[in-house]
Amino acid sequence: MSESRVRPPGIELAGVTRTYGERGPDEVRALRGIDLGIPPGTFVSVEGPSGCGKTTLLNLLALLDAPTSGEVRWDGRTVGTRSERERARLRLAGVGFIFQRFYLLPTLTARENVELPMRALRTARAERARRASELLAEVGLGGRERAYPHQLSGGEEQRVAVARALANRPGLLLADEPTGELDSTNALAILDLLERVRRDRDATLVLVTHNPAVAARARRHITMADGRITSDVAGA
Amino acid sequence: MTLFGRRGSLRHARLQLVLAVAAVGVAVALPVVLVSVGGGVSAHELHDLENAGYQIVVSAPGLHGIADSHSLTERMLSISGVSAASPVLSAGIDTFGASGGPTAALAEGVIPAEFLPTLGPSENGLFPSPLPLGDPMDLVHFANGTYQGHATLDVIVSSPFAAAQNLETGQTLYLGPSANRSQAVGYTITGIFGVPPNLLGPIGAFAVVLPLSDLQVITGYGPAATAVVPDASDTIEVAVAGSVSADPSALSSVEAQIQRLVPYYGVSSLNQEATELQQASGVLTGFYLALSSVGLTIGLLFLALVLLRRVEADRRSIGIRRALGVPGRQIAGGIVAEGLFLAALGGVAGVVAGYLIVEAIATFATSTVQEAAQLAIFVPATLAAIVGGVLALSLLASAIATRAALRIEITEALR
Ligand SMILES: Nc1ncnc2c1ncn2[C@@H]1O[C@H](COP(=O)(O)OP(=O)(O)OP(=O)(O)O)[C@@H](O)[C@H]1O
Ligand SMILES: [Mg+2]
Repeated sequence: MSESRVRPPGIELAGVTRTYGERGPDEVRALRGIDLGIPPGTFVSVEGPSGCGKTTLLNLLALLDAPTSGEVRWDGRTVGTRSERERARLRLAGVGFIFQRFYLLPTLTARENVELPMRALRTARAERARRASELLAEVGLGGRERAYPHQLSGGEEQRVAVARALANRPGLLLADEPTGELDSTNALAILDLLERVRRDRDATLVLVTHNPAVAARARRHITMADGRITSDVAGA
Repeated sequence: MTLFGRRGSLRHARLQLVLAVAAVGVAVALPVVLVSVGGGVSAHELHDLENAGYQIVVSAPGLHGIADSHSLTERMLSISGVSAASPVLSAGIDTFGASGGPTAALAEGVIPAEFLPTLGPSENGLFPSPLPLGDPMDLVHFANGTYQGHATLDVIVSSPFAAAQNLETGQTLYLGPSANRSQAVGYTITGIFGVPPNLLGPIGAFAVVLPLSDLQVITGYGPAATAVVPDASDTIEVAVAGSVSADPSALSSVEAQIQRLVPYYGVSSLNQEATELQQASGVLTGFYLALSSVGLTIGLLFLALVLLRRVEADRRSIGIRRALGVPGRQIAGGIVAEGLFLAALGGVAGVVAGYLIVEAIATFATSTVQEAAQLAIFVPATLAAIVGGVLALSLLASAIATRAALRIEITEALR
């Protein structure tokens, strides 16, 4: 369970913009022209003030959203503007997304939440159960498989969310302020966990954060302001 | 989409589910009641037709009836394969006892010897046999070549009538065309007959049977001595031999020969009438279903609305699933399954409710409505078809909700 089965794609963004709302006074230009390349297996942090477009950028990387103009490419193939159906297919197998607010399904147990992406991929039941147990054990929740989200602490919920993001062994892990709603102890634990799974699986990790201490863990630091990338530096 | 979420206003959600099931249930109950009662009544009539003692009916359109009934009957009897031909004249008359009256009764004029062989199994044992009405072939009137006069002055009366009026065999009952006692003529009661438990038949329980020509005289246009009576009847019921009735081509050959005798009257076989009745009942069933479609539309709109509300309430969860990459197909599958489940519950509830409604009417309602309800039949195939139709239509309701679920903007739902 240590190797990544799905090789992470090399990601390229070329001239990407994203505008919300109708043209006119109400339109919000969340991204104003992003050019960015992320080679497979890197750990990138994205920082910037609130409203600068971090989540918008991450959503485009995750294929949750399509750019208004420009191209999102995986391994040279334009994927950002494909149909929602195709993007969903790529997402399911290739992307693990961790949200700030965990977003576990409240009616499912921890284990069922982790199994959800595997079910969607029609993984065999026994394999599903085995992998879910493994993943929950890996994030330190071996004994809590049958707990519902409301029975878990925030830190535990986020660990379940990490396990769920890893379920289909994606090459690309995207985390949008995964520690934003956690205290510093839990935040550090999640961060350690993400770093470890990234390293074990040789996955790409893009992590959005407000927190410089968190960002410091990354190998490459992108800073944004007002819909643009203002700095992009490598180094620990 | 899970049926009973743990989150949110659970009670509210359950109430919505219950209401959706109830709406579909009410919509289904209506056609169940209509179709089962309608079908029951038709089946009953069909059963009556199939159990009649005759196979061919000659009937005359208009008021004058079939003229020359007696001689026509003789000529029909001479057709090979015909075993009995019974002209029947039905008329409302007034009756008087030794004192008092008048009491209205339905009179049937028949040729005694021909009447009994045309009775079906359900009526057969109810009459004394042979009919004690004097002249078996009702031919005394024609003895001199001229038609005249009362012949036997015999009458038999129905048991309910006899019971209500304290009538007994041997007594005199006066029969007349009007409430004027002076026009009535005294008849001797020679027998009493039973009334079949006929639920919907038009024959009243106060009935008398007398020779055809006697009733013709009573209902004629003046006193017997001077009247020119048209020897008319309403219908002639023709029974054929068993070998003929079992052979459709032989039956239609007899029918054709009768039609040649009376080209100006209607001749139909009961087979034909049964077919027509079945067709009519099919049309009626279609009509009932069309009528019910109004209720079904409302029930399914309600279902669509509830499913839509549930999608709305589950917006976040649906957004999460779609963000994870769960295919739209699987999300749609959940909604369709839920719609089908609710529709199936409603369908079954509707069938049960329809059944209980019919049972209640059959038990507590009065007169014809009750009788009709008692005849209701529940055909499993028809009920299954109704429920199946509702299930199929529920797909439409699910489609509306699915469309809404797949139009949710993922990034919006997760904000
Ligand atoms: N669906 C939307 N409709 C309209 N405007 C939007 C929408 N989503 C985001 N925006 C706007 O686009 C801009 C960028 O938003 P985004 O969520 O990417 O910022 P962010 O950097 O993630 O901020 P934060 O750090 O507060 O999460 C903001 O001005 C925001 O108000
Ligand atoms: Mg954000």
